[in-house]
Amino acid sequence: MEQEKLTFEKALERLEKIVSEIEGGKVPLEQSIEKYADGIGLIKQCRAILETAEQKIKLLTKGEGQSLEISGELEESEDSEAV
Amino acid sequence: MCPSRLPFFDPRKARGPRRGPDVGSDVTAELTGGTGAAPPSALSVTALVMRIKAALAEAFPQRITVVGEISNFKLHSSGHLYFRLKDDGAAIDAAMWRQSAAKLRFKPYDGLEVVVEGRVDMYEARGQLQLYVEQMTPKGAGALELAFRQLKEKLQKEGLFEQAAKKPIPPFPRAIGLVTSQTGAAIRDIRQTLRRRWSGIPTYLVPVAVQGEGSAAAIAEAIGLLDAQAGRYQIDTIILARGGGSMEDLWAFNEEIVARAVFAARTPIICGVGHEVDVTIADMVADLRAATPTAAAELAVPDSRDILRHLATCQNRLTRSLRDQMTSCAQCLASASRSVVFRDPTWRLRSHAQRLDELSHRLRADLGHLLAAHRRRLEPLTGRLAGLHPAALAQRARGRLERLTGRLAWALGGRSKRAGEALSVLAGRLGSATPAHRIRLLRQHLDGAARQLESMSYRSVLQRGFSVTRGSDGEILRSALAARAGQQITTELIDGRIASRVEGDSAAAQAAPLPETPAAAPRKRRDKTTHTTGPSLFGPEGET
Repeated sequence: MEQEKLTFEKALERLEKIVSEIEGGKVPLEQSIEKYADGIGLIKQCRAILETAEQKIKLLTKGEGQSLEISGELEESEDSEAV
Repeated sequence: MCPSRLPFFDPRKARGPRRGPDVGSDVTAELTGGTGAAPPSALSVTALVMRIKAALAEAFPQRITVVGEISNFKLHSSGHLYFRLKDDGAAIDAAMWRQSAAKLRFKPYDGLEVVVEGRVDMYEARGQLQLYVEQMTPKGAGALELAFRQLKEKLQKEGLFEQAAKKPIPPFPRAIGLVTSQTGAAIRDIRQTLRRRWSGIPTYLVPVAVQGEGSAAAIAEAIGLLDAQAGRYQIDTIILARGGGSMEDLWAFNEEIVARAVFAARTPIICGVGHEVDVTIADMVADLRAATPTAAAELAVPDSRDILRHLATCQNRLTRSLRDQMTSCAQCLASASRSVVFRDPTWRLRSHAQRLDELSHRLRADLGHLLAAHRRRLEPLTGRLAGLHPAALAQRARGRLERLTGRLAWALGGRSKRAGEALSVLAGRLGSATPAHRIRLLRQHLDGAARQLESMSYRSVLQRGFSVTRGSDGEILRSALAARAGQQITTELIDGRIASRVEGDSAAAQAAPLPETPAAAPRKRRDKTTHTTGPSLFGPEGET
């Protein structure tokens, strides 16, 4: 569950570290198996982030004071016919 | 000069409120006036200037365009511009009011050749002909180019384009902020690019007008707001974009206010404005310059396909490595199971057993040595200890007691015996007190004395180491002179006699040294064949 808090970059870094550790051959087999499981988990997690199908652009407009609030989503048609 | 020939004076055309019939009649009156201090024909200055003004309006009814070089340029604190426009042959004063000057995108300066548009009019207060400029563009390069160049130089001097000030773009952004128009090519291109590369990336758009009045200020504000709120939306990359257009269309991105907003933002900004050939000031200030909005989106996010390939590679490497390790472990296991330990499980046990035997043997031997050594040390101690045993001590004490008892008994016994003996002596003495016995005793006493006397004759001297030499006739040789060569002599010593023969011819000659010093004597005595005994019977050097 801790892995879910990781940013994509951190997850990828950890994955690469795990790969090089296992490849290094200095980790005992039991740990290798554990790390392998971690690595596969990270790969799944990264894939899930990357393969999110729907790309949405949220609109931010100036709200109270200097804040920006989400005011909606950019409609697909809005940009499709513009110049 | 005939008034009617004045080109700017045509009463027939003098219309409008300031050129009413009254004015005309005044002028006519003045012109036809009599003599004196103020002939009726004399014009007031105001009337003159007004007439000139009217004539000018007649001559230049519309705005005119003039080309010339700026000189004596002054920017008044009121915002109005004053300068002189000149060429090789003439010059004319010019003014540009603040409202018009504010629209200028470049800063006019002396020597700049410009094309101005405006009206020719009189400055009544000074009766001065002036060109009132409403628009001005630099000749040749154009106003925008000039403005661009001027702002670029200014910001460059301030260091806004410095590479060192540029922030790195995160390789994997968490969210993207967009500042562009809600409609237009830019947002469409960006959306398509993001979708193609990384459709899952959270994206936020602050819609702004990207051209026209106030667009620069709106863009600058949007950048500032988005930067301030970046943390809230996890935005770590901002894309500032606009599709292609003329330089005029893109102008907002060449405004100083936008450049300053881009520079001030803490969030990295990628700028993609116009087409490849367009480079705006915003592009130069941005942390990363992209040729187009599409390129900006490409620079903002990695291509997920690349990353997916990388992930697949990682997975393969993970799996292969683990499999390799497991294979290697299995081989280790196999080779270990082939080892003697598993083929002959008791091998190690036997080896240990042997070692145990060896050790116990050594231990025993060592123990024996140790015991012997201790015993050796113990024995004398035991002896000494036994000597100190009470029984032994008692034994010794008893022995001593017995000896002492013995001595005591002996001492006591001795005294009584001696007393007895003394008594018997006395009894004996009492018994021998008869006359016969007395005579017998006396005889015996006498015999003893005689014998004693005889033995005392010379033997006692012989006893002391001297000898007596006698001749063959038995006479004692008292002098060496009495000895004859070849004579047999007998020497009597305490325990026997020696028979000898005297050598040499003359005993007297040989005997001569006798009276000499005793030193000569040893030589003679050493002569074993001549055993001559001189008259030194009582000498100290007597020999046994």
